[in-house]
Amino acid sequence: MSATISNRSFRPYTGEKARISRAYDYLILVLALFLFIGAFHLHFALTVGDWDFWVDWKDRQYWPLVTPLMGITFPAAVQYVMWNKFRLPMGATLCVAALLIGTWVTRIFAYHYWNFFPINMVLPATMLPGALVLDFILMLSNSLTVTAIFGGAAFALLFYPSNWPIFGMFHVPVEQGNGQVTVADLFGFQYIRTGMPEYLRIIERGTLRTYGQYATPLSAFCSALLCTLMYTLWWYIGKWFSTTRYLNKI
Amino acid sequence: MALSSEQLKAALPGQLKAPLEKLENAPWYLKDLPTYLKAFGMLTVIYIGLRLYQGEFAVSAGLDSYEPAFEQYWMRLFYIELVIITLFTTGLWGYLWLSRDRNLDSIAPKEEIRRYFTLTMWISVYTFAVYWAGSYFAEQDNSWHQVAIRDTPFTANHIIEFYFNFPLYVILGGSAWVYARTRLPLYAKGISLPLTLAVFGPFMILVSVGFNEWGHTFWFREEFFAAPIHWGFVIGVWFALGVGGILLQGVTRLIELLDGLEDAP
Repeated sequence: MSATISNRSFRPYTGEKARISRAYDYLILVLALFLFIGAFHLHFALTVGDWDFWVDWKDRQYWPLVTPLMGITFPAAVQYVMWNKFRLPMGATLCVAALLIGTWVTRIFAYHYWNFFPINMVLPATMLPGALVLDFILMLSNSLTVTAIFGGAAFALLFYPSNWPIFGMFHVPVEQGNGQVTVADLFGFQYIRTGMPEYLRIIERGTLRTYGQYATPLSAFCSALLCTLMYTLWWYIGKWFSTTRYLNKI
Repeated sequence: MALSSEQLKAALPGQLKAPLEKLENAPWYLKDLPTYLKAFGMLTVIYIGLRLYQGEFAVSAGLDSYEPAFEQYWMRLFYIELVIITLFTTGLWGYLWLSRDRNLDSIAPKEEIRRYFTLTMWISVYTFAVYWAGSYFAEQDNSWHQVAIRDTPFTANHIIEFYFNFPLYVILGGSAWVYARTRLPLYAKGISLPLTLAVFGPFMILVSVGFNEWGHTFWFREEFFAAPIHWGFVIGVWFALGVGGILLQGVTRLIELLDGLEDAP
């Protein structure tokens, strides 16, 4: 048994019925806000996590690859429900905005005020420009294929340039102990993290480093390809989870 | 001295009386709105209280689990939490079960609409608890374990996060499930798959604590948040997407019920 989705012709409610409908909307808004902050933030923190927490993890190689790839998941799933069922072209933006609220609250009260990490060391990255474009492309195209290819790619490709104004200043070189490091690295050396020894810091490994200035665009385009696939996968995950079935037994 | 609600209202300044009276005169479909708002208020006080407790005693008494102060300030809090969680679960689930509706076949449409609103409020309180457990205190765990070397599974943040926040959202999610099953005809006739996924999936996050602590004890002492040791939590939280299906089930039924009601001004 499953609920039959109503496809009656649209007839707006008036009077008390309209008020009931609006009150329900407000309840859902509050519910959805905390749901997406809580659920998406936990998913994000435990998959992208360290690349988003620390300024000295925000490298040219893994950060632009991992963040959009894990960040497009919930937006794709939520877009399925919000666009297909309610024609609301804001699933991705809602998810990413909720994530930003959650990360900012935590960085300020858990990292800065509790454990005294400078806020510049734990600034969250933003995926908002990519999310806006993703919603925009879905709204205009009304197509999973077009959104996956162009929206998914844009979500990944926009990530690095949209974060550059925030984090570029921490990539400035400084001299430390007769060696050259970035300001970001200096943060890491000054504020020792007992739970994360240096060998756990995954930055710029492998032969991609030898490509010099091409490392970032290569990572971004690799992420763009993977995001088109990840978007499609999570669209269907969103579809599967939004089942309206009732079971006889579990 | 305890104040009755009437005395409390009389003591309130004028600006606060108006919204309170408005709440009391809420329309029939929002009958449970005051209880919903009180639940939000109480949870906010509890979570912020726990965070302030951490701020006060985590550094002074929470860095070394072999210190007597750790036993006094942290393990005692842990035991108190276990008692509270046990009593709360028994009381709340017991109440929901014992006060169940035994005549669901004769429920009036307006009453069913009101109960859909109340179910949505239950799920909303559940997601509020998911916020504190999945967002704030979860990432705070990383922050704390970067300044404190863990020598016990019961660290100053784990005692709040794993043994209070996780069970609490499980209890609230379970309450939403029991409420739906015992008070709404469609949920009583069949078991809602999306509601079950949205409640039992995140429940598995609590179970994943076992794998996480096993891994951190025997294999991986460091705190690398994106490591596979944490992916059990990740898979559990994906099931929260079931809320989309609950919303569709609720909206579909509400449209049917509203279409059956007479228009009112």
